[in-house]
Amino acid sequence: MVRVGFLSLAHMHAYSYGHALKQLPNVELVGVFDPDQERGQEGAERMNTKYFPEASRLLTQVDAVIICSENSRHREFTELAASHGVHILCEKPIATTIEDAKAMIDACEKANVKLQIAFPVRFNTPVMRVKEMLERGVIGEVLAIRGTNHGQMPGGWFVDPELSGGGAVMDHTVHVVDLIRWFLGKEFVSVYAEADNMLYDVSIDDCGMLSMEMEGGIFVTQDPSWSRPATYPTWGNVTLEIIGTEGVIDLDAFAQNFMVYNDQQRKISQKSFTEDMDLGLIKDFIEMIEEDREPSITGFDGLQAMAVALGAYESARIKKPVQLR
Amino acid sequence: MIRVGVVGYGTMGQVHSQAFQELNDVELVVVADPDPDRRAQAQRDFGVDVVSNIEELLRSSSVDLVDICVPTYLHETVLAQAIVGNKHIFIEKPLARNLEEGQRILELAKDYDKKIGVGHVVRFTPAYTGIRESVLQGEIGQAAVARTFRGGSQFPQGWHDWYADFDLSGGVILDLIIHDIDYLRWLFGDVERVYAKTTHGRTTAHLEWAMIVLRFKNGVIAHVEGSWTNFAGDFYTTVEIAGKDGLIKYDSRETDPIVKTTLAEARAGGGVTVPENPAARSPYLLELEDMIGAIREDRAPLVTVEDALGTLKVALAAEKSARLGQVITL
Ligand SMILES: NC(=O)c1ccc[n+]([C@@H]2O[C@H](COP(=O)([O-])OP(=O)(O)OC[C@H]3O[C@@H](n4cnc5c(N)ncnc54)[C@H](O)[C@@H]3O)[C@@H](O)[C@H]2O)c1
Repeated sequence: MVRVGFLSLAHMHAYSYGHALKQLPNVELVGVFDPDQERGQEGAERMNTKYFPEASRLLTQVDAVIICSENSRHREFTELAASHGVHILCEKPIATTIEDAKAMIDACEKANVKLQIAFPVRFNTPVMRVKEMLERGVIGEVLAIRGTNHGQMPGGWFVDPELSGGGAVMDHTVHVVDLIRWFLGKEFVSVYAEADNMLYDVSIDDCGMLSMEMEGGIFVTQDPSWSRPATYPTWGNVTLEIIGTEGVIDLDAFAQNFMVYNDQQRKISQKSFTEDMDLGLIKDFIEMIEEDREPSITGFDGLQAMAVALGAYESARIKKPVQLR
Repeated sequence: MIRVGVVGYGTMGQVHSQAFQELNDVELVVVADPDPDRRAQAQRDFGVDVVSNIEELLRSSSVDLVDICVPTYLHETVLAQAIVGNKHIFIEKPLARNLEEGQRILELAKDYDKKIGVGHVVRFTPAYTGIRESVLQGEIGQAAVARTFRGGSQFPQGWHDWYADFDLSGGVILDLIIHDIDYLRWLFGDVERVYAKTTHGRTTAHLEWAMIVLRFKNGVIAHVEGSWTNFAGDFYTTVEIAGKDGLIKYDSRETDPIVKTTLAEARAGGGVTVPENPAARSPYLLELEDMIGAIREDRAPLVTVEDALGTLKVALAAEKSARLGQVITL
């Protein structure tokens, strides 16, 4: 039995992870800590578990925690969990600064606890299939990739730079960068970016465009914009067009859906029948603990993805490509 | 009656020649092409006079309009001769292969008392003009992020494979997605800076994929992508424009009103499904109609040499950016 708790429910993915935990036979959801008591109590109720007013009380009763706090607080929660010898699944992005990310990785190493970063899209079934295709070399040698990770404007703490560390570029670059690093086993070496606040009355970047280079001269573009309007029938997308010397693969990770037109609510929505990737992520995390193996998505993976987003902000500021180390 | 001579009877020369048949009081009278097979074909197709080059065309026939459909690297030379002949001129995009040629064309066009129009046909393509209207009418509010794609099809087949010679055609950026650069300039105005990547030079001559990031002076961020491939595929285009109050999405693959699958085709071994997107009036007809209108009404054509040079400059900046790995500020 693996005993799991939540540290903060600020990120709404917590509920989907909680749902996944409930489906696994060998897992006990012990409880929730959240510095925001109201959110914590409500969330605990929703997930049918206990609210802990003190993090340390929860940490003495669990083997692992899932950290769904605001991005800039990932470090404090990670250090706290590590100091209690508790394994960690941390929501992406790993942190908001290189320094914080490195401190998190160090703390977990020293405490000998496992740190996994939540990049659930790696567990999307079509995504996994494409990884297989690339491994079989069906499109020859990869030359270039065009990615998008569009979304709606999330609001809340996501648009508070202090808590999120960045807007659309921070929020939506890391998934795509992580997938591509995972697909190709190569690192990003430079990034050029445009980033701006043009879509919403918020004081953070809500749109942008990245053009990056990887080891071996592969180039990648990525559109992280919160450019899906409120009327859009779904939350957004993750797409990758992978161009090889012998073919091209067009991946639309959430294309498995149907449309619903509802007159009563005057609403058009796209309903997904994609398999639950969050369940895949959580299952993998639990198995890692049970089997005492290395995390499939490490702190280093989290750091590398975040570094590209930070490089993008630097590039947008100086209007030049930025070398990534 | 406006009498027309077409120079270069390849893919575009043939499309234009057909379009001229559908215009009132316009007559295609002569076709010039150095290739005897092409000349024979023009004669068969339209029963017109044929000559082997523009000099002969100017000497032997009295035409009002010269329509230049030769490979890009020959644009300036042929256009200069048409100007000596004092004809109205329609010339395929891109205006020229490089900046020097483009600038010399602009010099020639200054004070020229006849009309010169350039074939940026996307400005006459219904989906694109419709999208532009929607944006200009404020249906999505102030635009912020635009994305375009053009390509997916087999590598173009040209005369002596000139498309595959980067020095002659300029590749995907200069030949293909210059259409979208022109369209976006028509919508959003001048470009501030360009950062571009292409697979050119990293693969065989018959595969190129390019992705350009543009920042317009009005703030709009754009991603312009296009491809020619050596693997089979169907040509398609997409446009997406996100604004403060909404989003426009277009994908040509989703707008084919007819999709036909037949036993006859299956038996013939093809077994292909053929989509059709018919239009009574093709964009090529519309652009040439505008050119004829410009001559008749003594007004400028929709796409002038200045416009086309402005677009060419952005495409060349993208080519340079890709070559040097640098941001090019215009
Ligand atoms: N607007 C569009 O959608 C579009 C599409 C394709 C091509 N184009 C442009 O049109 C132009 C022609 O392209 P294409 O695909 O028709 O080329 P093509 O290779 O199919 O045809 C070129 C023709 O020009 C002839 N030619 C060569 N030298 C000549 C000369 N000195 N005088 C007269 N004829 C000569 C060749 O024999 C050939 O028949 C290019 O600039 C291209 O970029 C535009």
